[in-house]
Amino acid sequence: MTAPMVEQIIASHSDCGHVTEGDLVTAKVDRVYLQDGNSPTICRLFERYGFHGVFDPERVAIFFDHSVIAPDKEIAARLREAQAFARRLGVKVYAAGEGISHVVALEEGWYEPGSLTVGSDSHTCTGGVNQCLALGMGASDCVAAMVTGEVWLRVPGTVWLDVIGTPSSNTHSRDVAFYILGRYGQSPFLYRSIEWMGGWFDELSLDACATVANLGVELGAKCAFLPAGKNRSSMLRPIHPPAEGDPRRLKVDVEGLPPMISRPNSPEDVVPIDECKGTAINYVFIGTCTSGRLDDIAQAASVLSQGKVKAGVQCLVTPGSKKVFLEAIELGYIEALIRAGAIISPPGCSACLGTQGSIPATGDRVLSTMNRNFLGRMGNASAEIYLASPLVAAHAAIKGEIPSARELEQWR
Amino acid sequence: MAMIAYQGLRVRRIDQVISTDDIIPGRYKHMFTSASDLVPHLFENLLPGFAATFDHGDVLCCSQTFGIGSSREQAVSTLLAAGVRAVVAPRFGRIFFRNAWNLGLPAIEVDTSSFLESECMDLDLVGGHAHCNLTTIVFPAPPRQMLEMVEQGGLLALLAKRYSRSIPLRG
Repeated sequence: MTAPMVEQIIASHSDCGHVTEGDLVTAKVDRVYLQDGNSPTICRLFERYGFHGVFDPERVAIFFDHSVIAPDKEIAARLREAQAFARRLGVKVYAAGEGISHVVALEEGWYEPGSLTVGSDSHTCTGGVNQCLALGMGASDCVAAMVTGEVWLRVPGTVWLDVIGTPSSNTHSRDVAFYILGRYGQSPFLYRSIEWMGGWFDELSLDACATVANLGVELGAKCAFLPAGKNRSSMLRPIHPPAEGDPRRLKVDVEGLPPMISRPNSPEDVVPIDECKGTAINYVFIGTCTSGRLDDIAQAASVLSQGKVKAGVQCLVTPGSKKVFLEAIELGYIEALIRAGAIISPPGCSACLGTQGSIPATGDRVLSTMNRNFLGRMGNASAEIYLASPLVAAHAAIKGEIPSARELEQWR
Repeated sequence: MAMIAYQGLRVRRIDQVISTDDIIPGRYKHMFTSASDLVPHLFENLLPGFAATFDHGDVLCCSQTFGIGSSREQAVSTLLAAGVRAVVAPRFGRIFFRNAWNLGLPAIEVDTSSFLESECMDLDLVGGHAHCNLTTIVFPAPPRQMLEMVEQGGLLALLAKRYSRSIPLRG
């Protein structure tokens, strides 16, 4: 049997000709990227341990995305420290306004197929869309990778997720990933590498595939790899699953699957949309590294171009990158959203984690397209956060409540 | 390899899935870089008041998965600054698990159902057992490299030593 993708990539980046599950190995890193929120901590670690440079400044980047519009003087001060740190190291800088690291990294070719990337943010796993072994890690791991160009890894086992059938036409790729999280929990995927497969992926857009890769960390996985397909890099390799019946191969039937909702306060508390229909919503947030790409903005605009944001509802839309923003302007999406009553904020992580506005008020009920709804995630533990796709979120903005699956069908 | 063992730890039980957002909310880790500034906000949303009861020598015993979600290393550095010496849980979020060992906080995967709040625990990493009241739970001893990180004060302390050795003396 051909070795799992994660083993092939780790082996090709280490001195070992061959690695297997459980091996502890030191692997060479192709790229490292940080975000603004943990760069100040990483800067302090460089100072404390007396490190001065990085293994290759061309292969290290700092993205300013978590606090594009600094919400207070402490965070503003940390951003200045991060900027100075980036200048000192001479690494690449993606300034505030360029977009979310994981969106821009894909656009800029940082996720080369077969390469190994370390990122200081947990959603670095997005790189799996290009079959890049992209690993989210903490500050110390990032420092070690930046200084030495190496990282210690425990080789994970692999699970093959075989998606069969076709979901309903209003069901987004993220709904499939959340359905699997809700049904199986994290246990089958924790610490493991996921190789996605199945005919459903053939026609999916690159944006929809990036969403699936991005949610790897929500499933508990170390990394995820997407299969080759029509709209993806021609460098992608075929997935080689074990034979049917092998316990590592999990078959998931998504035939007719409706859109999914995660209820407060766990991404794992997933139910079909109809179990939440009619739930009043007064704050809708569309964006993030999960659902802030052009496809997502297009879906929101297609709904909101035919209605208005309900009075009393705040609808915030944040393009994932400058490129997405400019294309969305050119295609008329942004105008449609603004005319419908949405607020557009500059590319970045926006309201996802309470490190910039808009913070929900106490008692608010939020419907968001982000990836996590842990208690207090958006900066107020007294707001409730539901998670859903951009299509569902746009409908909720118009209705002021979560729509039913039937309403979505009728709208089509 | 020296013996790495902790005696007389105080058990602090948590009976739910814990994310790193629960340990330290996002905003604070963007505001402060010193772990001592973050300690008052430990578990602030989920378990208000819990942080104030921490003491040097506590061991967190979680009955479910501990540390899922965000990569924030402050989830570990803040626990250490609050006095927590080890975390035991049946499963860990992957990045939290790495961060814990990287900073010298042992994260041990064991069934924690028999450990009771405020009980006294002895933890022997090399021997691979946790002893609490009359119960002993056995676990596979962590690999040598991970024990070395705990013993030497963490991944970067080890790296700094290696680097200082590799720089030739001038003269």
